[in-house]
Amino acid sequence: MYDLSTALEFDALSSVRPGTSLLVAGPAMSGKEALALDVLKEGARDGEGAVVVTTNDQASAVVDEFRTDVPDLDDSQLGVVDCRGDSGGSDVDRSGAYVHHVSSPGDLTGIGIGITKALEGLHKSGRDDGRLALVSLSTMLTYTDKKTVFKLCHILSSRLDSAGYVGVFTIDSGAHDDQTLQVIKQAFDGLVEFREQNGARQARMMGLSSQASDWKEV
Amino acid sequence: MSESDRPVVLIVEDEPDVAETYKLWLRNDYEVRMANDGNEGLELLDATIDVVLLDRMMPGLSGDEMLDRIRNRDLGCRVSMVTAVEPDFDILEMGFDAYLSKPIRSEQLHETVENLLERSEYDSVLQEYYSLVEKQATLEASKSNAELEESDEYDELKSEIDELQDELSESLGGIGDDADFIATLRGLSNGEEE
Repeated sequence: MYDLSTALEFDALSSVRPGTSLLVAGPAMSGKEALALDVLKEGARDGEGAVVVTTNDQASAVVDEFRTDVPDLDDSQLGVVDCRGDSGGSDVDRSGAYVHHVSSPGDLTGIGIGITKALEGLHKSGRDDGRLALVSLSTMLTYTDKKTVFKLCHILSSRLDSAGYVGVFTIDSGAHDDQTLQVIKQAFDGLVEFREQNGARQARMMGLSSQASDWKEV
Repeated sequence: MSESDRPVVLIVEDEPDVAETYKLWLRNDYEVRMANDGNEGLELLDATIDVVLLDRMMPGLSGDEMLDRIRNRDLGCRVSMVTAVEPDFDILEMGFDAYLSKPIRSEQLHETVENLLERSEYDSVLQEYYSLVEKQATLEASKSNAELEESDEYDELKSEIDELQDELSESLGGIGDDADFIATLRGLSNGEEE
């Protein structure tokens, strides 16, 4: 079981089954991407593997951030799939983190290959537990339709399930219509929702337990 | 099961002995059709074919070219490349669904064909699942909670969705290994699961 409550304190997150995939939804700048990466960093502090699929940040920035926030990070713990499309192919970052570049967020085959190679690398270095973050589905939705993104999420969840990993995917709730959000949600086991209320940031958790949690400030 | 209900496998292979061997191995479980080269293969291609075993190195139309033609015609069949060298994942990027390295054993051939059929099944269940989820979202957006509670259609939809969800999570056959995973994603980009 994975304890994700160290990144966000909800009871339902304290014991999460391997293979679980979570959607983190919220408006822009509400902290959902930071949460997704925090979940991975917390795991990395315990020696777990981490795979970041990013459509927004440069791979080297992600690697640097992890190194800063997880001082004991072993480079063999981290894989980054950079989908921004400024350079192609795979390489090993200066000091060993595995980085794969994909031509665009719409190149699902390339993303699949990147994830496969990252998982393979982590597995080889003995990291059988780990967490994957995809940041963000909103960018992917500008490259491809919601049907494709829905199926992608489903297929990735199944892959994570067979790897025994947990997944955290982010989506900007302000960028899509309700129907799209409703559909995408259905591809996940649970949902963490962020909102701004009277100047305070709040979150609630749905799906992993029978009842949705209350909104609480985070 | 009648002859016509069995899955159809098309073998495209220029060495007759090799092609005959594959046929011998497969004919008890599948309807097997044979082509000596790419051109003949193209003539035999139609919507009834489920799996194509395609020799990569053939005189005339090569396996790669034939694959392009198959994809252009938007046929739902799965294509496994048969090759003399062990390829990398790159081969899946080119559009093949699987690969077999020579020499092939009977067991491997069966496994690959079976796996490709399962993957087609997974794709169509996933497609159906998506359609229902979309329908549910549309209903939820257009009706109030009270209306939804009253609606038999909505109830039925929800239980169908639950059923398909179970079916999908049980049948990891669709993405049992890395090649499945990558090829399934490639299928999404091509929209070939339609």
